[in-house]
Amino acid sequence: MQSVTLRINNIACRYDAANVLENIDFSAKGGDFIGVVGPNASGKSTLLKSISKVLKPHTGVVLLNERDVHTLKSAEIAKNLAVVPQESVISFAFTALEVVLMGRTPHLNRFEMESTQDLIIAQKSMELTNTWYLAERPIDTLSGGEKQRIIIARALTQEPRVLLLDEPTDHLDINHQIEILDLIKRLSKEKEMVVIGVFHDLNIVSQYCDRLILLHKGRIFAAGGAGDVLTGENIEKVYGVKVTVKQDDISGKLLIHPQRKRMIKEAKAKVHVIAGSGSAVSLMNELVDNGYNVSLGVINIGDSDYVAAKALELDIVEEKPFCPIGEKNYEKNLELIKQADYVILTNIPIGFANIKNLKAAGEAQNLIIVEKEPIEKRDYTEGEATKLYHELKANATLVKNSHGVLDTLKSMESGVNYE
Amino acid sequence: MYKNYLKKFFHWKLIIAYLTAILGLTVVLTTTVGAAHIPPLVVLKILFTKLPLINHLIIPSWSIGEVTIILEIRLPRIILGVLVGAALAVAGTTMQGLFKNPMADPYIMGISSGAALGAILTIVFGLNIFGMYTIPLMAFICAAAAIFLVYNIASVRGKLPVSTLLLAGIAMTLFLSAIISFLMYTAGEKLHGIVFWLMGGLWGRNWNHVMMAFPFIFLGTILIHIFARDLNVMLIGEEPAQHLGIEVETLKKIIILSVSLITAAAVSVSGIIGFVGLVIPHIMRILVGPDHRVLLPSSALVGGIFLVWADTLARTIIAPTEIPVGIITALFGAPFFIYLLRTRKRSMF
Repeated sequence: MQSVTLRINNIACRYDAANVLENIDFSAKGGDFIGVVGPNASGKSTLLKSISKVLKPHTGVVLLNERDVHTLKSAEIAKNLAVVPQESVISFAFTALEVVLMGRTPHLNRFEMESTQDLIIAQKSMELTNTWYLAERPIDTLSGGEKQRIIIARALTQEPRVLLLDEPTDHLDINHQIEILDLIKRLSKEKEMVVIGVFHDLNIVSQYCDRLILLHKGRIFAAGGAGDVLTGENIEKVYGVKVTVKQDDISGKLLIHPQRKRMIKEAKAKVHVIAGSGSAVSLMNELVDNGYNVSLGVINIGDSDYVAAKALELDIVEEKPFCPIGEKNYEKNLELIKQADYVILTNIPIGFANIKNLKAAGEAQNLIIVEKEPIEKRDYTEGEATKLYHELKANATLVKNSHGVLDTLKSMESGVNYE
Repeated sequence: MYKNYLKKFFHWKLIIAYLTAILGLTVVLTTTVGAAHIPPLVVLKILFTKLPLINHLIIPSWSIGEVTIILEIRLPRIILGVLVGAALAVAGTTMQGLFKNPMADPYIMGISSGAALGAILTIVFGLNIFGMYTIPLMAFICAAAAIFLVYNIASVRGKLPVSTLLLAGIAMTLFLSAIISFLMYTAGEKLHGIVFWLMGGLWGRNWNHVMMAFPFIFLGTILIHIFARDLNVMLIGEEPAQHLGIEVETLKKIIILSVSLITAAAVSVSGIIGFVGLVIPHIMRILVGPDHRVLLPSSALVGGIFLVWADTLARTIIAPTEIPVGIITALFGAPFFIYLLRTRKRSMF
């Protein structure tokens, strides 16, 4: 098999007048697993879009096997390059197998039907992603995590030489997260595939990626091995938080811990936040700014909410990265919840790893639930979370988004005072 | 497992074969039905004289009047019904797929109101440029103009966002409807003709109408079928479709153009027949699944079958008076559709 090369040749991208990417220049060859990290709006997704021909760079070229992707036909690119998006909406009643078989589209002639050969490739991809047993199920009956694994299987069915991932594991449970990342890592070596992934979680990148690109305001701030890129100094400059970077005793990989930055002011009321995936970063800042005594838990170390809470010096009940909530932490969290005057549950996906947080929330004196989308859409526990959630909801105050929380808190507090 | 999957393709062929046979039967059977009493056997014999190989075997036993009724009145009307029904069903299926919207129908781009304006202008001002073909031609021209405008309003820097397209279509429809309402309000005694045209029908259509509509509907339908698999992939979203090798913007342009052509052709010869383009696609999606490679041809066939039977009822139910066929399509199609919706457990979109 001829080795694949990808060169991003000094590209710049613009939306209207604003530069989103500038001076991006790097190259990759088969077997590379490159992680792209950076805060929100640093240009990570734009970078993926310009590689996959969705967005034409203002200047510079993207060369796939030395050919400019923007002069290639989409089908030509699709034979070599697959993309796993953050989220996929497939509402029609295609079966999972039919969706995976769509990955063969670039390889088939216009009137050619899928052959046994295509089916074999599809089955293999589905077995790799552990979804073959879902083959006959209509795609719209699958859970978010199952759907995402089907989409990854579809990408593999394209038999790509380059795989682009846009926060591919955001909707997955910890076990599937690890399973998929292990698989992608293995394939990148076995099939000499270039993998470029955008990730939020710095601990994931340090574990899986060979090379990292740290984006800051549309430019490459640092690039290279995890040890060179994920330094305390770099992270503080780019993310604006102080962290300590340690080597994990067992794996030798880096672990990133935010440091305490300032003392909490004298507080009015105790507020406990149940969050995850960065859903409460601005909320916690707002609460602290307004003088509340805020705590957070249970949260996995390395989560953006964890990073933010550390920076704010909150009381945190923390769990190791990728681990389900342990009994001890559950108890600790319960204690904080019981002490808190108010408990806020943000709009987080609930899996088996964090369902204990829902259970604990039941002990809250005053529960405020931020609900942007119905629980059914973010339930990865086959209904268990939904049941718990609805019980909680019956005795809780509901807000549409986290901006409404502060007003609700204030009005609830004044209500308490008048009594 | 593989066998099961590959068997699917065989089933598709069977479905198409069955439906084609039913369509053939429909054409023959409905030709025997009509206000003038001509024995079915005679009708069949007259039809068979038009078939090669066996035509010389048939001994004529009918009047010239009967031949005219069958070959010049009933048959062209039925063939036109097949064409229009197929066109509307294909256009509807395609639009629902492309817009990923169950409410989409062939008229969503403002085609219907464009065509209606053309027809009404002709009626109100008594235009007579091409004789009896003035109305269809004007309807076609105005429909094409409406689509052209909607298309240009919606395109942004060479791209065609479907949501903008949808809104531009609605805006155009509303604007043209206002003009239409004004014309109807001031139409006086010509109002009946307008209303009858708006409700749609196939009365008094001849072979010339068939020849007018046929090339557009035939070519457009073929063109859409060529892109059947691409339409499947479009259902997963535009960006993912591009990642699977679909030239999304080109595809959208080809599809919109094809749908516009076949719908404009259908509307210009039959007026605005509702329901077929909206509901036949849904019914067929329930029956044969969402894959456009089987959905499109089977929708076309069933659209044709359905409209021909509906039209047969329309012309016979209170003969010699005609009912606009749109009334029949909704009156009989809607309850059946509701039945399917109720008996089906899963959502279809």
